[in-house]
Amino acid sequence: MTDVLSFIHFIVNGVMDFLVSIGAPDLIMAGIFYLMAAVTVLSALGVVLMRNVVHSALMLTASFIGVGCLYIYMNASFMGAVQFLVYGGAVAVLIVMAIMLTRRPDMAHSNPSRGALHQLGAAIVAAVFCLVMLIVSMASPFRTEASHLGDEVKGIADLMLTEYVLPFEVAAVLLLIAMIGAIILAKGVSENDA
Amino acid sequence: MTLDILHPFSITFMDMMNFATHIGLAHFLLLSAVLFAIGLFGLLTKRGIIPVLMCIELMLNAVNINLVAFNHYMPVDDYSGELMAIFAVAVAACEVAIGVALAFRIYRDRGTVNVDDLNSLKG
Amino acid sequence: MMMMNFAAITTEIGIVILMLVTLVMDLLLGRGKSRAPVAYVTAIGLCALLVYTFGLYHGDRSLTFFAQLFIVDNYAIFFKQVFIVGMIFTVLFSLDYARKCIHYQGEFYTLLLSALLGMCTLASANDFVTSFVGLELMTVSFYALVGFRMDPTGTATSGEAAVKYLIFGAASSAVMLYGISLVYGATGSLVFAAMSRNIHLYYAAGLVGAVMVIVGFFFKLSVIPFHMWAPDVYEGAPTPVTALLAMGSKAAGIAVLMRVMYTAFPFIGYYWLPLIAIFSAICMIFGNIMAIHQTDVKRMLAYSSIAQAGYMMAGMAVANAAGMKAVMFYAMLYVFANVGAFAVLCVVDTERGGTDRRDITGLAQASPILAAVMTVSLLSMAGIPPTAGFSGKLYIFTAVVDGGYLWLAVVGFVMSMISAYYYLLVAKAMYRDLAAGEEWRAEPIAVPMLAKITAAAAVIITLGIGIYPEILATMTNIASQTFMR
Repeated sequence: MTDVLSFIHFIVNGVMDFLVSIGAPDLIMAGIFYLMAAVTVLSALGVVLMRNVVHSALMLTASFIGVGCLYIYMNASFMGAVQFLVYGGAVAVLIVMAIMLTRRPDMAHSNPSRGALHQLGAAIVAAVFCLVMLIVSMASPFRTEASHLGDEVKGIADLMLTEYVLPFEVAAVLLLIAMIGAIILAKGVSENDA
Repeated sequence: MTLDILHPFSITFMDMMNFATHIGLAHFLLLSAVLFAIGLFGLLTKRGIIPVLMCIELMLNAVNINLVAFNHYMPVDDYSGELMAIFAVAVAACEVAIGVALAFRIYRDRGTVNVDDLNSLKG
Repeated sequence: MMMMNFAAITTEIGIVILMLVTLVMDLLLGRGKSRAPVAYVTAIGLCALLVYTFGLYHGDRSLTFFAQLFIVDNYAIFFKQVFIVGMIFTVLFSLDYARKCIHYQGEFYTLLLSALLGMCTLASANDFVTSFVGLELMTVSFYALVGFRMDPTGTATSGEAAVKYLIFGAASSAVMLYGISLVYGATGSLVFAAMSRNIHLYYAAGLVGAVMVIVGFFFKLSVIPFHMWAPDVYEGAPTPVTALLAMGSKAAGIAVLMRVMYTAFPFIGYYWLPLIAIFSAICMIFGNIMAIHQTDVKRMLAYSSIAQAGYMMAGMAVANAAGMKAVMFYAMLYVFANVGAFAVLCVVDTERGGTDRRDITGLAQASPILAAVMTVSLLSMAGIPPTAGFSGKLYIFTAVVDGGYLWLAVVGFVMSMISAYYYLLVAKAMYRDLAAGEEWRAEPIAVPMLAKITAAAAVIITLGIGIYPEILATMTNIASQTFMR
């Protein structure tokens, strides 16, 4: 029994050493990155290109989740959790609710776009932006090593409750105001008390 | 390690393979640029209020990827980039809440949610 | 262990307390009761805060809240006073308007105060996190305020204006945030002072980021190529909110833009100073030319406010203490000119249901005081001698010429002359005789006492500053010695 186990152990170690020697962990990590990047970008394209607004909303949620996975890939798991909860949860639900409340008879063409010329112009703007950012990101130092492996939540909390405590408090007011504003705008004036 | 495209002839095939297999800051910057560009494209071409809001959310997500990636590959031990990203998330949530309320109100007043139909203010 | 210095944020704490008081008062007052007490409490509280802020002026040691990230220097105090003064006047002259056209009055004052809180945070912010959150607090409050008109005549345009403002505002926030992220990536910091010391700001990422941040601010300031939202939003918003957008939100944008330019990106000034000068000229030229064709007075004031932002940016392009002083002087007097014009428009809007040029015909007969207030305020905006606008423009153009931008001063001077034309068109509509086939709209207007007093006070101050500018000049001198020596 022990012989079998040690044999398996030997084999696994050998395979692992071989994989490391040809750079497989890097390849696997790169593969994971490309998978998540593809999910994010393709579903973002779906948001723009789908004709049905409900499908767009679904694609948007997929894109949010892809971005959240990318955060976890970068060891920013707290940020990932925030992304899943706020974007994948709250924002997605809000948008679906808005679609539901403003329902149209024909959902199949509920997400119209402008004319072809307009689309061409927008595509050129987007392409120019991508090109500029390609040059910028290539010209800046290309780093592959993450430096800090400290406690992310502790790091953020330290900053948020010391140096940046004021924006933290202001953000609390901001949330209150957004709530009041949204309630009033959506409530409107009903006929009986106008 | 620097990939210097200002000298294009110095790029070898191995450099390109190396770039493709070693995920680093530049990959995240490019991804975020593509995401931002898609959002921008949608912002300029979409007609409905809610699709436009979705595209703005895509753009804000691109920004957050940028912030987190810069922070992750930053040589100092500091989390202010992620902190900024968290504030950006909070602000984006507020904007969506107000935007959804407004879309609902416009729909009730006018029976439409298309930006193009909102043309009573033209002087 | 560093300590938080709560003495530095007393003004903001005061505003938050006032905000919560208005919210609770609105709940306690019950349905159908007048909300005037809420307005009075707001105005009195703000007056107390204004008096208090005079005590904050100091010598050379500025208060900071925590590690330099929130700085209460004389510059910030001056701009806070600009915002508070604008807010007090707006609350007072819009009392009658709010009673008739705003359904949720209590929340209206709460949101006004939260916008004020955002502006005050912006004036003191010394890093991108605080300035971004402050900016968003201000704009989110304004998104809601723009859509606040829910009476049957105004609800459609008000909601439409709010949607347009939200879409442009959120998109410009995204652009600005992208720029902030690039600058952060290049320099590794979000604090203005640390950013300016970092040599990597000159790298491609830093420069592109700085450009995107500036474009974001230009959107908020409605500088000409990025101005498409402004006329529609100004026209559709409730009139007091338009007034605040024109004076408060614009002054706040100028305040934070100056701080970002001078403290975060000072060494790339070689790139951005000519850029600011060019955009300032574009604003002055096209803002004034497009204003000529407008028939709606609110819409005309929107274009005119773009031109006014152009004058202020001209002072900014000089980048010395004299230029800063001129900008701050102009920001303050623009508040008074705006208060006068919008107090009149508010009454006209309440009584006659619109702000088109035909709604103000015969105003000189219906209410001579209002017509006089409007005329003086518009002359101040045009920069005609006995008013404050003249001394303001004199300071700006002197600083611009001394700074070596003679062409900019010439453009500004010519455009001021052109602007007098369309301001006088409005005056003509109020005073002129009847054209053939037209009816007088001379039915007397019931002008509320408070609006009359507020408008008259604004005009007296406008004339006072014009005749005797020394007091304000001294204040701006003190305030401009902060980061330009």
